Amino acid sequence: MRSIAQMAMFAALVAVLGQLPAIPLAGGVPITLQTLGVILAGAVLGPWRGAGAIVLLHVLVAAGLPLLAHGSGGLGAFAGPSAGFALGWIPGAFLVGLITQASWPLRLWRTITGAVLGGIVVVYACGLPVMAFQMGLDLQQAALINLAFLPGDLVKAGIAVALTHSLARAYPAPFTHARRRRQ
Amino acid sequence: MIPLYRHGTSHLHRMPVGAKFLGIFVAALAASVFRESLGVLLSIWTVTLLGFLLSGTRVRGLFAQLWRLKWLVLVLTIPQLIFLTPAEAGFNVARVLAVVMLAALFTLTTATSDILSSVERVLRPLDPVLLRGGLSAERISLALSLTIRSVPVILSFYADIREAQRARGMRPTPRATVLPLLVMSLRHAEETAEALAARGVR
Repeated sequence: MRSIAQMAMFAALVAVLGQLPAIPLAGGVPITLQTLGVILAGAVLGPWRGAGAIVLLHVLVAAGLPLLAHGSGGLGAFAGPSAGFALGWIPGAFLVGLITQASWPLRLWRTITGAVLGGIVVVYACGLPVMAFQMGLDLQQAALINLAFLPGDLVKAGIAVALTHSLARAYPAPFTHARRRRQ
Repeated sequence: MIPLYRHGTSHLHRMPVGAKFLGIFVAALAASVFRESLGVLLSIWTVTLLGFLLSGTRVRGLFAQLWRLKWLVLVLTIPQLIFLTPAEAGFNVARVLAVVMLAALFTLTTATSDILSSVERVLRPLDPVLLRGGLSAERISLALSLTIRSVPVILSFYADIREAQRARGMRPTPRATVLPLLVMSLRHAEETAEALAARGVR
């Protein structure tokens, strides 16, 4: 029952992070924090519950709630060109959790690898083909367009890594997947 | 949190959720498979426009929906104009918009609660499979309603954090905002789990 409550809470957290007024970074560039939430879901809850939280979010979005970034949602969110990215969050969060929580205490290099592979590589690998197909471009052209988002995503992955390690020290209770593996 | 659903009594509103969903799925599939076909594109647009007129949202609702998609159109069009001819770009944008508008029609005319109860109905026969992963249709729909309930709770946590930051004259950096939000949310999840266990929900 605890995992159900945690998944529900994290699904809501990812939704809320997408709605917050974009927090200005040091450089003054505003970004939404929704994908930060996706990486955190995997890193904090582990692969199964992390991916489960994203599935919950997507079911509610498809059911007509405006929970994606800036109040978008509804079934239309899965028909547009960015559908692949949103769906890629599910395997993405899973992989982040799998790599990050492979040992306890968490290791920094593992968390970084997990955040970059799961949070960026997997999400792009799912998102780019859908985007290219929808827009009638080839993969390289789609990748070129998405290059604009890469710096922001790298920054978010970095923030997620720092937050995960702070949380592991401050409140290690939710990291059950990692702690069960090596105590 | 306001659902995107608009109440109404049209035929579209009264159609079974499953049939409506299947229809949109087939239309989206047709648009992807016959991507070059003008006929398919025109028939999807005809169905979509008719649907909007029949759903009682009338022309104003249609334009409101199109206006919601203005950023999508912009994001779609500009990169395509770099790589493709205007005619190709226009055709692609029209195709994506048709499917998105049709999906929006589903969202406009189907109550969120109806969709969620259909999801539970579909999942119920799968219970034996789900139980192996520690899940069940009941647990999944509990998780879905917990999520809906948690959104305002987390928003109020966020308001508390911002207030505390303002009182101390702090800048709302992502780290200073999200870390307390994480701890408060996870503690709240713990309390919710205990409350559910105390009420005998397993």
